[in-house]
Amino acid sequence: MSKLGSVVESVEKYNQFVVDQVKRARTDEKFGRDLLGRWNDIKAKIPTTRTPTGIPLPRLALPEIDEPGEIARYLFGEGLPGEFPYFNGAYREMYLEPLREVESLEKNGESKKSARKIAPAEEPTRLFSGLMLAEDTNERFHFLTAHQRTHRLSTAFDGPTLYGIDSDADGVFGKIGEGGVAIDTVEDMVRLYDGFDLGSANFSASMTISGPAPIIMAMYIAAAKRRFGPSVVPKLRGTIQADIFKEVQAQNETIFPIEPSLRFLTDMVEFTTREMPRWYPISISGYHIGEAGSTPVQQAAYTLSNGFAYAEMFAARAIPVDQFGPRLSFFLDCGLDVEYIALARVSRRIWAIGMRDVFGAGPKAQLYKLHTQTSGRSLIAAEFKNNLTRTAAELMLAYMNATNSCHSNSADEPFTTPSEEWIRLAAHGQAILLEESGIFKHTMNMLSGSPGMKAVERAVEAAILDEFREIERLGGVLAAVEERYQRSQIQNAAHKYEQQIYDRTRPIIALNKYRNGSDDIPEVKLVRTPRKKQQLQVDRLVKFKKKNAEKSKLALDKLAAVVESGKNCFPALLDAVEVCSLGQITGRLQEVVGRFRPMV
Amino acid sequence: MAQPIRILTAVPICDGHDSAINTINLEFIRHGIEVVYLGYHRSVGDIVRAAIQEDVRAIGISSYNGGHIEFFAEVVDLLRKKGVDDIKVFGGGGGTITHDDAKIMRRKGVDEIFFAGTSLEDMVRFVHQRYGKPRGKRVKPKSADQELAHKLTEIEDSKKTRNAKREKGIVRSTRVIGFTGPGGAGKTTLIDELVLRFLNKGRQSRVAILSHDPSVIGEGALLGDRATMINSQNDRVFMRSMATRGQAGGLSPATKDCLALLARSGFDYVIIETVGTGQEAMPFQKNGIVDQTVLVMNPDYGSRLQLQKIVMLDLADIVVVNKSDLQRAKTAHTEIEQRLEQNRRKQRLFDTVAKRHRDPGVDRLFDLISGNAKRAHERRKK
Repeated sequence: MSKLGSVVESVEKYNQFVVDQVKRARTDEKFGRDLLGRWNDIKAKIPTTRTPTGIPLPRLALPEIDEPGEIARYLFGEGLPGEFPYFNGAYREMYLEPLREVESLEKNGESKKSARKIAPAEEPTRLFSGLMLAEDTNERFHFLTAHQRTHRLSTAFDGPTLYGIDSDADGVFGKIGEGGVAIDTVEDMVRLYDGFDLGSANFSASMTISGPAPIIMAMYIAAAKRRFGPSVVPKLRGTIQADIFKEVQAQNETIFPIEPSLRFLTDMVEFTTREMPRWYPISISGYHIGEAGSTPVQQAAYTLSNGFAYAEMFAARAIPVDQFGPRLSFFLDCGLDVEYIALARVSRRIWAIGMRDVFGAGPKAQLYKLHTQTSGRSLIAAEFKNNLTRTAAELMLAYMNATNSCHSNSADEPFTTPSEEWIRLAAHGQAILLEESGIFKHTMNMLSGSPGMKAVERAVEAAILDEFREIERLGGVLAAVEERYQRSQIQNAAHKYEQQIYDRTRPIIALNKYRNGSDDIPEVKLVRTPRKKQQLQVDRLVKFKKKNAEKSKLALDKLAAVVESGKNCFPALLDAVEVCSLGQITGRLQEVVGRFRPMV
Repeated sequence: MAQPIRILTAVPICDGHDSAINTINLEFIRHGIEVVYLGYHRSVGDIVRAAIQEDVRAIGISSYNGGHIEFFAEVVDLLRKKGVDDIKVFGGGGGTITHDDAKIMRRKGVDEIFFAGTSLEDMVRFVHQRYGKPRGKRVKPKSADQELAHKLTEIEDSKKTRNAKREKGIVRSTRVIGFTGPGGAGKTTLIDELVLRFLNKGRQSRVAILSHDPSVIGEGALLGDRATMINSQNDRVFMRSMATRGQAGGLSPATKDCLALLARSGFDYVIIETVGTGQEAMPFQKNGIVDQTVLVMNPDYGSRLQLQKIVMLDLADIVVVNKSDLQRAKTAHTEIEQRLEQNRRKQRLFDTVAKRHRDPGVDRLFDLISGNAKRAHERRKK
C-alpha cells in the first residue's frame, strides 16, 4: 500500500473522531462544559473592529452556537483559522487590515500587546509575468512592484526554456521570448532580477518551470552568488514549481523520463531544504491540470495525491518531514464551477490530517499553503471584456477559500501575453476586492459556513477520497501516472466540457449564449518579441558558449559522472551552470538518463 | 469508394498544448480521414520528414505557444526546399493567432488558419473539400525517400493486389523483422529502443519501419506510433504508418506489397509492426518475406491456459516479455518458457523493460537480432 491509502484511512478516522467528539460533548457532561467554557473564552478574546461607517464587527466571526455537540463539531471538524485542521484558513488573520479601532483593547491589556505584534502582511497579489528577453522582463518587474511594500515576482519562461533547450537550437527561432522570458545562461539570470535585492526579507521570486527546474534553480543560486556573494544563499526566498507529476499528467513539459526527473527533483529538494531554509523548492500544482480540462474535484484530488507522493519520496530520502513539509506549497486553478467555492478549504483539511497522522508532521508541516490563479481556460476571445467579470467572480471564490496569494488573469489573455493596460486592471481587481470592498478586510470567516458551502464541502471531500482510493488501487501515484490514469481522466473531462459548450448545456456568455454574431477578434495591442531581440539572445548565447567552450566540457563530464554514480547531483549542477548553457546541460543529462517518451 | 485522405497533425516545438489537436484528430478519423499524429513539441525538420515519408496530402499544425508566423513559414519553406510543395499546410491556434497574423501566414503559403470558435464540422469539411480530390500527376520525386513514399502510396491506393513478384532468387541484404503481440504490450516502445541501438551501432545503416494501426468504423484511422517513437524521428529511419483499411489480422491489404518494396530498397533492416493482435493471429504467415518474428507479450495475459491458445507462441522465433518490472513478470517468464519448450524449436525468450533507458534486456535482444542479421548477411554473401 502506498501512503495514499493510509491518508484515506486517516481522513476517515479523523471524521469518525469528530463524530465521536460530538457525541461525547453531548453525553459527557464535564467534557461538554469544558468545551463550552473554551468556546466562550475564544469568543471573549476576539477583538472588535469598526467599519468605515462606524459599525462594530468582530475580527473573527463564529457560528452562533452554544450547544457542546455543535461546538465540538466546529472546533474539531473545521478549526479556527490558523488551527488544525485549517478548514477556515492556514493563518489566523489572512487579509485583515491592521486593527482600526479596538474596543476590547481598552478593557484588556493583554490583547493590546498581541495586537501590536501583528506584522503588516504581505500583499497577496503576485502577478505572473515574463516576456521577451531578461532585461525586458526585468523592466516589467520593476513596473509591477513600483508601489508595493514587498516585491514578489512571478516569472514565466518561454517555450525553449521550459523544454530545456537553447535559443540557438534548431527551429526555435520565433519562440524566443514568446509567452515568457528567454533564459539560456546564468548571465541571463543575472539580468532578469537586476536591481532587486535577492537576499532581502521583502523580496521573493517565483519561477514557473518544472522539466528543467533543478538546472534553473542552480542558475538562480549562481546568479545570486555573483551579485551578492555566497552568504546570500541561505537568505534566498521564493518558489520554483518543479512539479514533475503534473507535467506528465497534464502539461507535457517533461524532458527526462519520470524516474530520473523525480530523482533530480529530490536532489534539489535535499539541497534547498538544508541550505536555503526559506525557499519553496516545489509548488504542487493543480492549475495546469485544471487548465488541461479536469473537473475541479480531479484537480484537487490529483494535486493532493501528487503532494503526498512527493512527501513519501522525500521522506524515503531521509529528509525530515518537519524540514521539507513547511517548504511545500500548492497552486490551484479557480474557475466558475460551484465546486470552487470550497475546493481549497477541503484540500487544506485533507492535507493537514494526512501530514499529521500519516507522516507525523508538526504544525508547520501541516499547512497547505496555497497560491491561486483565476482560470485562463474560462476566458474567451469573443467579447473579451467579459473576461473582467469572469476573473472578478473567480477572485471572489479564491478569496472565499482563504488562498494565501492569488494571480488574477488579464482579460486579453486569450490572444496574447498580457499587455500593461489589462494587467493593471487585473491587479486592481484584487485591490478593489481586498482593499476597497469590506468583504475580506474586517472579519475572518465572513462568508464561510453557509449551508450551501457546507453541502459542497461534503460532496467534494467524498469525491476526492474516492479518487484517492482509485489511485491507490492502481498502486499509488507513480504507478497510476505510468498507466496514464490521471491523464486519461483529465482528457475525458476536457472532452465532456467541450461537448457541454457545444450542446449549450454549459452556457458561455457571448460564445454559445447571447452572442452578437460577430466573430471578429477585437483590436488588442499584441506583445511579440521582435526578431532583432531574438537574434540578440542567440548572439549572446553563442558568445557565452564560445567563451566557456573548454570549461563546459569538463563541467559536463563531471556532472555526467555524478549522475551515473547515483549521488546527489545538485552541487555538480551548481558548478555546471557557471560555464554551461541550459541546453548543454539538458542534452548531456538526456544522454545519461534518456529522454521523456510522450504519452499519447 | 475513394481511398481515405491521409494527413499529418502535430504541435510545434516547445509547445505542449495537445488537447485541441487530440479532439480534432478524433473528429477527423470519425469522418474517414487517416491521421498520422506526430505529437507535441515537434521540430520543423521532424514534421517535414514525417510528411514526406508518410506522403500525406497536408500537414495540420495546432500552435498555442506563439511564434506561429515563423514556425508555419519554416514548414512551408522546408517543404518547398525539399521539392514537396504538393504537401499543403493548414492549422490554427485558438485566440493566439490573430486575423492579421493569418493574413501574413496565408501570404507565406499556408492554406488556411482556423480561428477560435471554428466548429469541428467546418474543419472536417475543409479537409474533405481541399484535400479529398484525387491527386493529379505527381511531380518527379527529388529524393529516394520521396520516390519510395510515392510508390508506397500507389500500392496502398490501388484496388488490386499486384501479387508481388516472388522473392525467390533475389538476393537482398535487408533483414526483415516482424513484431506482433497484443495491444499495450509495448511493441512500439521496444522497436523505438531497438532503433536507437541500430542508429548508435552502424553509423551508415538505415532502418525502415512499417507500422500498422486499425481503421475505425467510417474508415479513418489514428496512426499514432510516431508520437511516442522519439528515437525514430531521424533521417536514417524511414517510417511509414498504415491503416488496416478493413482487413482483419493485424495488417493492411497492401502490407505484403509495401513490405516487398521496402525489402528491396536498400535498408539494412525493415521492421514491421502489426496492430495489437488477438490469440489466433498469425500475421506473418502469408507474406513469406519476414526473416524473423518477434512476439511481444505483456505479463498480464490472464490464466496459464490462455497461453495454450496463443498461436504466435508456436510460430515466433523470439518471444519478449516486456514490462518485466511488473510483479507478475517472473511467473509469466516461467510459464512462457515452459510453453515454448513444448515446441522444441529453440525459440528464444527475453525479459525487457522497454520504457527504461539502456535496459539490459533490450540490449540482449538487440545483440541477438543484429548478430543474427550479420551472420545471415555473411551467409548470403557466401
